[in-house]
Amino acid sequence: MLFNSLTFVVFFTIVVSAYWSMRNWTARKNLLVTASYIFYGAWNPPFAALLFATTALDFWLGARIAGAKEPRRRKAWMVASLVSNLSMLGFFKYGNFLLENFQWLLAQIGIIYQPPHLDILLPVGISFYTFHSLSYTLDVYRGVMQPTKSLRDFVLAVSFFPQLVAGPIVRAGDFLPQLQAPPKPQTGRFLWGLLLMTLGLFEKVVLADTMLAGSADRVFGHGGPLIALDSWLGVMAFAGQIFFDFAGYSSCAIGAALCLGFHLKDNFRFPYAAIGFSDFWRRWHISLSTFLRDYLYIPLGGNRAGPVRALINLVIVMFIGGLWHGAAWTFVVWGLLHGLYLVIERLLRHFAGNAKWAESLLVQLVLGLATYGAVCLAWVFFRATDFTIATRLLTGMFGGHVQGDAILATREMLQIGLVTLCMFIAHWALRDIGLEQAVSRLPRWVVTGAWAFMACAIILTQGNSNAFIYFQF
Amino acid sequence: MPSSTSSSDFQRPIPALPWRGITVIVVLIIMAAGAAWEMHVRSLGYAPTLNDTEDLWAQARRTVQPESIVIVGDSRALFDLDLDELERGLGKRPVQLAMAGSCAYPILADLANDERFHGTVICGIVPGMFFAPGGPLVETSEKALRRYRDQTLAQRASHHLGMFLEERVAFLKQEDLTLPMLLARLSLANRPNAQVPPTFPPYFQTVDRERRTRMTEQCAQPGDLQTRVQQIWLPLFTPPPPPTYVPKEVFMANIGKAVEARFKDTVAAVNKLRARGGKIVFVRFPNSGELKALEDRLSPREKTWQPLLKGTAAPGIHFEDHPELSEFNCPEWSHLSAGDSVEFSKRLVPHLRSALQF
Repeated sequence: MLFNSLTFVVFFTIVVSAYWSMRNWTARKNLLVTASYIFYGAWNPPFAALLFATTALDFWLGARIAGAKEPRRRKAWMVASLVSNLSMLGFFKYGNFLLENFQWLLAQIGIIYQPPHLDILLPVGISFYTFHSLSYTLDVYRGVMQPTKSLRDFVLAVSFFPQLVAGPIVRAGDFLPQLQAPPKPQTGRFLWGLLLMTLGLFEKVVLADTMLAGSADRVFGHGGPLIALDSWLGVMAFAGQIFFDFAGYSSCAIGAALCLGFHLKDNFRFPYAAIGFSDFWRRWHISLSTFLRDYLYIPLGGNRAGPVRALINLVIVMFIGGLWHGAAWTFVVWGLLHGLYLVIERLLRHFAGNAKWAESLLVQLVLGLATYGAVCLAWVFFRATDFTIATRLLTGMFGGHVQGDAILATREMLQIGLVTLCMFIAHWALRDIGLEQAVSRLPRWVVTGAWAFMACAIILTQGNSNAFIYFQF
Repeated sequence: MPSSTSSSDFQRPIPALPWRGITVIVVLIIMAAGAAWEMHVRSLGYAPTLNDTEDLWAQARRTVQPESIVIVGDSRALFDLDLDELERGLGKRPVQLAMAGSCAYPILADLANDERFHGTVICGIVPGMFFAPGGPLVETSEKALRRYRDQTLAQRASHHLGMFLEERVAFLKQEDLTLPMLLARLSLANRPNAQVPPTFPPYFQTVDRERRTRMTEQCAQPGDLQTRVQQIWLPLFTPPPPPTYVPKEVFMANIGKAVEARFKDTVAAVNKLRARGGKIVFVRFPNSGELKALEDRLSPREKTWQPLLKGTAAPGIHFEDHPELSEFNCPEWSHLSAGDSVEFSKRLVPHLRSALQF
């Protein structure tokens, strides 16, 4: 079920009405579990069984980890959880990719092997809910939290419908405590949640799908060389599209959760105003970057094992981060490119130190634009379906196709320029204060007008419900 | 150690504003803006009608029974056939599966591959569209087929809710009145060398739950809208120049191969359908004016229509071969008016009965 669909409007209205009309907390939680499984099963009912099986297994393994006295046994149960979760992810998401690469490797040594193509349907949101569930066993193993005794609570923590299929990646340790006592109804929280949902839908339906997606699709789908202007604008369109698509989903998720009295952490913090790449990853898909930091980078040794090892760890983490997004080498290159950016940044910081001149507004703006430009270059690999397209587009961006095609209409160019400019202004204005604080400072009529404008624009746009990009991950 | 039994410290900040008052004003603004927009579009001639979406098509496809009469084709088969007249003349209500801006071949192939189907296919042919080697025309059909095969429960539910609203609210017409369409119609000059596809003007057709599509009177009567629609056909039907990055000879050779392959695939699909006892008739619907001259020049019948009938050994009805079918005028050159589509269907029935040996 998509947030941007009429079914969800009806579903959410029914769930919220029933939820707040119930007095019994247990009944409310049962309602949310049922609603979450209906939300998920509306895509493909059998996959709801898979979701439950994964959850139940991790619930059981969490108890085994906590109950084990010997460290070796604790570790074995934790490894069992890792293996079961990652095997399932590997089978559904990476099965064909692994087979194709195995075939290629054999071909390099002269062995012709034709693997069967596995007709595997990828369960929606598997990368997200696997991480939701895995965070529980890993945190129990690390001693960060104690296991819950309620299977129902754990099922709800993993499958809570606002964040189930496209994040944010909510750790069990952040969500389970919220299930201990019922939230009290609060009008302000509920209506602020509705406003966030409106903002999220506006970002997705109006900005991502209407203003940018068509141009990005045309540029990345063009079969020939493009001139620099169209190449850059197409990549900028995608940079905006993926932000508004994913941040829009996160805003909807946070808003929907607030309407039900739950608090989810930010997943985006105005990333296109980042100065440098470590800053970018503190602002982009925060729930994934902190997940990878806590469960991969730090266990690998983090910064503790010396500067060289820290750089290697960074690259490993970004390699895994790239692969998490999809079973393709283009995603791996995207991740490695970000790893390389982070390495270069660390080296520059190491050698340049904390130079005073770098703190001036102009330098910060230049560094911010440079960060955005480098992030855009990496997006080329993220969006391109193969390296031929990526190479052709990059060549175009650097002026290698002077005689190339111009395919964007003036209207499309204006849309990309206008949306990107507004996005920059908003990100730079809000980068240090956050949305809530900014809204608190605005006059009431501005908040009212902006909310009404976004809602009217969503209604005017309507149309077919396009899936969110991150569903495929 | 934090545990799942302790309460979470994390609380999102909630801006301290008078939310009740703000929400009431927002709702009032939305209602007022919606009502004003609805009145405006109705004053332009729009009335509530369904959107011809992939979901509506999938719904129609699900109604196909083993012995159904099914219409496939492009917008001419969609606009020019009246289901009531066909039911009266053929004894069975046909299922309308033709789609505007589409290539009919993927739908024909789908029916041919559907083992349970052994009914009758009325296949509308516009050669430039039926033999399109790929691109948007083929994608339109393939997207509809994908939706039919993969439609989720949630999508079905949204579709039914959407139809309920579309039958009551005029501004929900997606092809004309959504923000993307309104933006697309901004008249901004493009760069002289920009390869930008032409923008379709508002069309004003109506669609019902059976996908019976009718041209509205605004379009059927001479006027600015009719002229604008007429003029859009010419660039739309003119093949785009070969891409700059492929040598012209290679491109043309590839197109030739693709058309040849489509001929062969069509023959195979027809044979498959017939092997199960199914029947098919190809139909060329009327066109007029400069568009007819253009189509006749780009796809002369001796190179498209005749080889198709010969290759498939299937019956065909070409409007030009029958005086009672050729006397219709398409107001905007490509489709019949709603009134003429009824009369045309009535006159077509005897030919269909003869061709299909009903």
